[in-house]
Amino acid sequence: MRFDDMTEAIGNTPLVRIDPAVHGLRNIDLYAKMELLNPFGSLKDRAAWQMARPLLAGAAERGDTVVELSSGNTAKALAMIAGLHGLRFKSVTNRMKVPEIKDLLLLLGAEIEELPGQAECLDPSDTEDPLARMHRTLTSNGSGYVHTDQYFNERNVEAHLHGTGPEIIKDLDGRAPDYFIACVGTAGSSTGVARALRQHAPDVRVIGLVAAKSDFIPGIRTIDEVHEVGLFEPGVYDTVETITADDAIDGLLTLVRRCGTPAGPTGGGAFHGAVRHLRAIDGGLTERRTAVFIVCDRVESYLSYVRERRPGLFGRPAKRHDVRTLTEAEVADAPTVEIDEALRWPGLVVDLRSPYAFQALHIDGSINIVDELFAELLHGGLPFSRRQPVLLVCPVGEKSARYAALLTRMGHPSVRSLAGGIIAWRDAGARLVRD
Amino acid sequence: MPDSSPLQLTPKMESITQSVLAQAPLLRQLTDGLGSPLNIVLPDALDANVEAFRAVYRQHRLRGNIYFAHKANRSSALLRHLAGADAGVDVASLAELQHALGAGFGPGRIMATGPKNREFLLLAARTGSTVNADSLDELSELAALVAAGRLPRVRVMVRLAEFASRGVRLVSRRSRFGVPAARLHEALDRIEKHADQLELTGVAYHLDTIGLPEKALALEGCVAALDECRRRDVPAWSIDIGGGFGVNYLADGEQWERWTSELAQAVLGRRPPLTWNGHGYGLRNEAGTLRGALGLYPAYRPVSGPGYLDQLLTTTAPELRRPLGSLLLDSMIDLDVEPGRALLDQCGIVLARVLEVREGPDTLVRLELNSRDVSLEEHGVQMDPVVIPQNSAGFAGPAEVYLLGNLCLESDLITRRKVVLPVRPRPGDLLAFVNTAGYFMDFSATGALRQPVGRKVALFRAGDRWSWCLDEQYWPVPERAEAA
Repeated sequence: MRFDDMTEAIGNTPLVRIDPAVHGLRNIDLYAKMELLNPFGSLKDRAAWQMARPLLAGAAERGDTVVELSSGNTAKALAMIAGLHGLRFKSVTNRMKVPEIKDLLLLLGAEIEELPGQAECLDPSDTEDPLARMHRTLTSNGSGYVHTDQYFNERNVEAHLHGTGPEIIKDLDGRAPDYFIACVGTAGSSTGVARALRQHAPDVRVIGLVAAKSDFIPGIRTIDEVHEVGLFEPGVYDTVETITADDAIDGLLTLVRRCGTPAGPTGGGAFHGAVRHLRAIDGGLTERRTAVFIVCDRVESYLSYVRERRPGLFGRPAKRHDVRTLTEAEVADAPTVEIDEALRWPGLVVDLRSPYAFQALHIDGSINIVDELFAELLHGGLPFSRRQPVLLVCPVGEKSARYAALLTRMGHPSVRSLAGGIIAWRDAGARLVRD
Repeated sequence: MPDSSPLQLTPKMESITQSVLAQAPLLRQLTDGLGSPLNIVLPDALDANVEAFRAVYRQHRLRGNIYFAHKANRSSALLRHLAGADAGVDVASLAELQHALGAGFGPGRIMATGPKNREFLLLAARTGSTVNADSLDELSELAALVAAGRLPRVRVMVRLAEFASRGVRLVSRRSRFGVPAARLHEALDRIEKHADQLELTGVAYHLDTIGLPEKALALEGCVAALDECRRRDVPAWSIDIGGGFGVNYLADGEQWERWTSELAQAVLGRRPPLTWNGHGYGLRNEAGTLRGALGLYPAYRPVSGPGYLDQLLTTTAPELRRPLGSLLLDSMIDLDVEPGRALLDQCGIVLARVLEVREGPDTLVRLELNSRDVSLEEHGVQMDPVVIPQNSAGFAGPAEVYLLGNLCLESDLITRRKVVLPVRPRPGDLLAFVNTAGYFMDFSATGALRQPVGRKVALFRAGDRWSWCLDEQYWPVPERAEAA
């Protein structure tokens, strides 16, 4: 394969059979359409390219900015495509909830604009939501924006009608699957694929998956939010079912651990929703059926999302010398000094506050090791000589007492905590400096 | 399968509210004697709210004042009760300042905020209250008043706005208040110039948003502002972060989710309307697609009030990458807050008499109060009232009804939402709008059409029973000790 640019690598992803030992279905062959193998990392590469391509002519000369309402894969793909064509990219979002994606977009040179939260004191005469206002700015003439409008752009559907859908049929030796299961985001892929499959075999069953209302699964809309999508047509789906974040992570774990597929939560949700739906049908079948679901993107961008919901998966061995292992009695016995004694302290003064606060004001001659860093140092052992007296300082004398207790336990004979902390020091009128 | 059971929005009621509603004979006597509508305030409920905020302070080891935002309710009883609690008061008008002084707040516990006239500034200066300045010119005006009256230095804070974000651009609604953060140095210059009149104690912000990221940015911006004070050797140690902590009004989150989902379906024409004339509360149907945004207060807010403050303090500062609470503590900064609504959670009830129940395609219930007497609709808060039947004979229910007000106006509906009452009301019954002390009780009430504005009474425990007095008669005087 030799290409002129990366957009040529979009599409033609493999259709991979899931081992029946994993899904447990006896009469259904389950296939995954591996969209995570697209060059920019997701299914959205197809739609992004399809939507952006006709808008690119002249855009670079005009100095236009590509803009899209996205906090995820579409933004990522568009940022890459914009960069390829010398254009800037701006992503407008309600709230960017996945930190890795946010950082990645910044790395790609994208500009991110977050819309304001709801007003606490409601103004009922203000019926214009920020989104509507933004749309108006984008569509006004000469705005300098190229708006791909993924939630309403038919080319989003076409990318899958002419690409993803026919590829599935080709890989199933010219047959459409009996079941197609898809998560609903912009509804572009589910609508486009469903249309292609039904043109081939009208009785394909299409199952749409949405997130439970109070839940958050990146890339999937909730049952309410789908109605805000211009491309969403309820008639496309034979049934719309709900999955939870928990289901999505269960599915993700099965795919990454058993199927050699580093899928993100959307793929995991599609797998889980597919198996759940098909299991109910499987027992009653008398002939073999096929089903296809889409693995939308890759797992790496969602580590913090999974960590937040399943901290147990990231369990690490306990570290040595951890303040959390101190008993209340040890903390209560931590050696302290009062202000008057601290004023004559002969040794080292270590300030555990943040560098920012330290730089603003501190005790003259002290050194700053922020508590997080200090904790890391102590995991490795005593960071200063036993003959060096050390006075620990924190805001109110609480953290410093804990570290003084820990250092005492580690065998340091002359460590002390400043009672009442730097606030007591200030309140006593003792001198604070700024270097 | 569509669920066709009534779409209730059951209000969240703590035991104090439930206990008052159980006093049906007393409530009837009060409305008979004082008329409908009747406003009830519950000063005793304040203590738990103050304590819950204090618990968050303790947990984060922070010091500072809790200023009650007086504008949320005009009651004297609530103010006098708070004067005896670990709280201060945020006053936003001359009359509110006078009221606070009269309720027993010393000037050290009063923060004057908002747009101010010269009289307001003068009384604040003369009494030694802290002035939270809204603009640069306000600082100069105040300084001139202090100089002219040869008054002692007045403590001031500067309200900041328009905090700049880096990396991700955070868009905030435009505000009419405050000094742009980028012009802090001008504010400091002015205060320095009037050093004999003004003493800077800190900086402030108040953002009208429920979004944490915007507030985190503003709070970090205020920390930077105090750092600038450090650099200029100005001993300012406080940040006032205003209010906007919110209240959870509903008992059941699923009811809220179900109702909002069904409202969207109704706007799309896929189910019968849930609102008067198919009102969409900001949602609209454009060619089968739902457009607009739901213009309602998020009535179910599991994280609100003190919990929201805790969440803000736990949030990592966008630039300094340390929890905001730790950052404040590290920098020895005191935290001031100005909750209004959140301090009045469960502190009041509005009662109204049912005048007529009109049967038809929809059941219409006409009440002896109007939508300004209980301004839930104006503030976008949706919750069902509670029926207090006149007698217990022959209950029927639940009933889905529209609530009509007593103004001769087409628009005077208490809410455009079809509300669900657990029993069918009858003329003479009372409807109780619970948890309405914060902003919904007297904020908008007017004497339009010469309809009476509701009287206000304070209900309080006297021994093991409920007692009452007119709001202006309430003083939290301890019972006289038995003679020795």
